Amino acid sequence: MSTSISEPHAAPAIRITDVCKSYGDYRVLRNITAEVARGEVVVICGPSGSGKSTLIRTVNRLEEISSGAITFEGHDIHTPMRARDLNTLRSRIGFVFQSFNLFPHLSVVDNVSMSPIRVRGLPVDQAHDTALKLLDRVGLAEKANAYPGQLSGGQQQRVAIARALAMEPPVMLFDEPTSALDPEMVGEVLSVMKSLAADGMTMLCVTHEMGFARDVADRIWFIDKGEILESAPPEDFFQNPRHPRAQRFLADLRH
Amino acid sequence: MIRDFVTIIQDYWLLLLIGQYPNGPLGGLANTIILSVLAIGLAFPISILMALARLSKWRLLRWPVTGLVYVTRGVPLLMLILWCYFVIPLWTGADVPSFFIMLVTLVVYQGAFLSEVVRAGIVSLGQGQMDAARALGHGYMGAMRFVILPQALYNMIPSMISTFVSTIKDTTLGYVINVPDLTFAASQVNNQLLTQPFQVFLILAVVYYIICWSLTFAANTIERRITRRRAGPRNARLRDDAAPLITIREQL
Repeated sequence: MSTSISEPHAAPAIRITDVCKSYGDYRVLRNITAEVARGEVVVICGPSGSGKSTLIRTVNRLEEISSGAITFEGHDIHTPMRARDLNTLRSRIGFVFQSFNLFPHLSVVDNVSMSPIRVRGLPVDQAHDTALKLLDRVGLAEKANAYPGQLSGGQQQRVAIARALAMEPPVMLFDEPTSALDPEMVGEVLSVMKSLAADGMTMLCVTHEMGFARDVADRIWFIDKGEILESAPPEDFFQNPRHPRAQRFLADLRH
Repeated sequence: MIRDFVTIIQDYWLLLLIGQYPNGPLGGLANTIILSVLAIGLAFPISILMALARLSKWRLLRWPVTGLVYVTRGVPLLMLILWCYFVIPLWTGADVPSFFIMLVTLVVYQGAFLSEVVRAGIVSLGQGQMDAARALGHGYMGAMRFVILPQALYNMIPSMISTFVSTIKDTTLGYVINVPDLTFAASQVNNQLLTQPFQVFLILAVVYYIICWSLTFAANTIERRITRRRAGPRNARLRDDAAPLITIREQL
């Protein structure tokens, strides 16, 4: 086990230990071992099909793993447990999807407040107040009564971030949050993510936005063919990537 | 010719409407509608349970229900009616009224059909909605109740009305086990008149047609509205402040 010594905190937010996952003969994840410290922003990058999305989806067990372990604040996620316990753990891990996955039959404010009401049992008024504050934070207070179908992609993704934040998670996972967006809408989503990072949120982001990675990430994991080939601070990763595959990836990006 | 129709309707409208009630059992159109509404009303919740069972990861739940759906869909309704008619009294030893037997048969039959409609509605939503709900900490049933089913059932309203229409038509088969419905009443009228089967059964056909056509029309209207709503804001932009929050609050 190669737990890195350089981590600042004793109990990491997420610890991934020797995780493997295969579909039949195809190995999606190979012996992944890594940590996200509390307050840290980690960006996962790598070519498509490298297992980035699969990896991030195993962290809240939307995907099962074949072997290894993943802990969230010391709780083992992939261990046999009662459904209720898994739901509680999941409710504390915010997740933002590439395709937003807002609930189209609910208004924006109901999208954000439903889970606090239904999962955490908050009173409706309180949940609505919190939802409106969060919508204000992502700049969409005036859209509270709109329906997801009436919003642009960037607005929908900001609502999705507010919806995840409504559960007050100590950790947020982002699975290519800007990949489904028109180029002119990428900025508004990234700036919300930046402000989250500035507020000290622990974040694990799969993204192709290298500008965001450079400016905001504390650490970059470069992953290819299901393996983390490089884990480095952004300045090191972008200035002198060590692994040849990472060098090629960065060279391809510059074209 | 036209006079025949008017005379038949004038003489027998009450029989066609409510059968021999209050001197005999309730029958006629009233019974047809009561039977259809009860059948669809009971088949609807059962179909949701069957759909959930068919999507379940437990084989113990999935296999028997899948078998039931396949058998029910693969057998003519008339077979099922006759089978229930002879087997239920054998099993229970009781003299079960034919109305009740017809109701049970229709519930099983339409439940199986509706369950496929509901299942299609759930599957067509895609995995993303379930993923989003699970990621927020909802359990499987919570996600179904608050996220998946409200959307799936709403999208399925037109198919459900179609199933209702076919249920109304299927009640005519109750004739073979003497359920006193509209068809039964019409054939009573025919037995009394003896000479005007064309007129009597044309009246019967027109009544069924009017009921079924209006429901089909309603289904098509609703379907168009749903399609428009799904098409999103570019085609039919609602004003934000006009959004119907009330219905949503009811769902919550």
